Amino acid sequence: MRRSVMRLVHPLVTTRGFCTKPEKIVASVLFERLPVVIPKIDPVVYAFQEFSFRWRQQYRRRYPDEFLDKADSRGKGDYQIDYEPAPRITEADKTNDRKSLQRALDRRLYLLLYGKAYGSPSGKAVWHFPEKIYEAEETLRKCAESALQSVLGNLSHTYFVGNAPMGHMIIQPTDNAPDAGYKQFFFKSQVIATNKFKIGKCEDFVWVTKDELLEYFPEQAEFLNKMIIS
Amino acid sequence: MFRITRARPLSPLAHQFIQRCSVSGTAKGKAKMKDGQPKKRNKISAKKGSKDQDPSKSPSFSRQDAEKYRLYEECINAPTPVRFLKPKERAREAEREKLGLESQERKREKEILKKGGRQSMGVPDEPMIMGTPGLDLIALGLVDVDKIPKYELTEEDGKRLAKEYSRVLMRKHRARQAAESTLLRLKKEAIEALPEKLKQAALVPDLTPFPVNRFMATLTPPIEGYIEKVKEAARRSSGKEKIR
Repeated sequence: MRRSVMRLVHPLVTTRGFCTKPEKIVASVLFERLPVVIPKIDPVVYAFQEFSFRWRQQYRRRYPDEFLDKADSRGKGDYQIDYEPAPRITEADKTNDRKSLQRALDRRLYLLLYGKAYGSPSGKAVWHFPEKIYEAEETLRKCAESALQSVLGNLSHTYFVGNAPMGHMIIQPTDNAPDAGYKQFFFKSQVIATNKFKIGKCEDFVWVTKDELLEYFPEQAEFLNKMIIS
Repeated sequence: MFRITRARPLSPLAHQFIQRCSVSGTAKGKAKMKDGQPKKRNKISAKKGSKDQDPSKSPSFSRQDAEKYRLYEECINAPTPVRFLKPKERAREAEREKLGLESQERKREKEILKKGGRQSMGVPDEPMIMGTPGLDLIALGLVDVDKIPKYELTEEDGKRLAKEYSRVLMRKHRARQAAESTLLRLKKEAIEALPEKLKQAALVPDLTPFPVNRFMATLTPPIEGYIEKVKEAARRSSGKEKIR
């Protein structure tokens, strides 16, 4: 008897929860360019590797040179070419050009836009991630993809990592922004195989490393610190 | 008594159970090599003696042969700058010195020490360059030269460096593990915070294959237009081969 009563009560409880107010959901995209060059090596690590190399060299057998030269013989199809390695610190680093993707090559770069955002106090331009309010698409990832598409034009050089968001923020309505009161979900996507992007749909854009990103968002720095590793 | 005659296919571990080496069941051929006695591989010198007895062959043949055998000898008895001995072996060597016996290796070790020790054989006291000269890690800017600690090539310095190395790497590893667990936790919370329909959609695993043209981080950044130069050089070199 009690069980059937509970069964009658339970659906009423849940439908009541849904019918109060539809939540506003915003899908935003953390568009990152992966590092192009390996990071700097710690001097302690380098010292130990160098020491262990020399220590092993002490106990290595020295074979006669004629024996070892057999390995140097040139094969067919080998070519000679002068190789001048490109510098790891590019001009974009020296001029601190934030719009270029050639900056900090050993770190990750994230895209930020300057313009109108959903949480901004009534029309003031502010720095934000590419985002879009969720209307009625199938999944939130499609909403995020369309957000990035509106900024970039096409998604041929992007790769969205997984169907699920990687973090969420609940923005409470405040005096400055009375129409805020939504949940912002972050999706991760990566730059594939390209050097330049045409960024539209905003007044300004920057590619920033994690430390600079935290400067742009002072009040959400703690959360972003946890969500973005490096 | 039944016997199953159907042939079973060989199990994947069959190679472990197939007889690989001969087992004689006796002690023949199992004598351990003792120090100081001529090793079995030195049969080459015995062969050389027998070949030299033939005077009718031209002298150039035996000189080439002698060169070959000299090369073999040098490879088999290749020297090392510092000889490695376990403490028991060291004690044994000391006792043999007292008796007046000295092995070939000990003789060579003394010669090398007279010449100048490991420095003469290519193991310097100053730090060596890691990598090809010009493209080594310091020239490329991967390491700060002034921050490298000073050390000698001794055991206790080596142990101290190893301890610091282990400490630094373990600290980094633990930081990375913590950061990754935080990432996973945030992802789970985000999925929980989604409304029901979107949650089901988010929980579907994304099985589309990874993009194939993602580049790994390399030592130096890619140079634009380099692949054309490489193809040209390859074409030119292969073209020359055909002309000849």
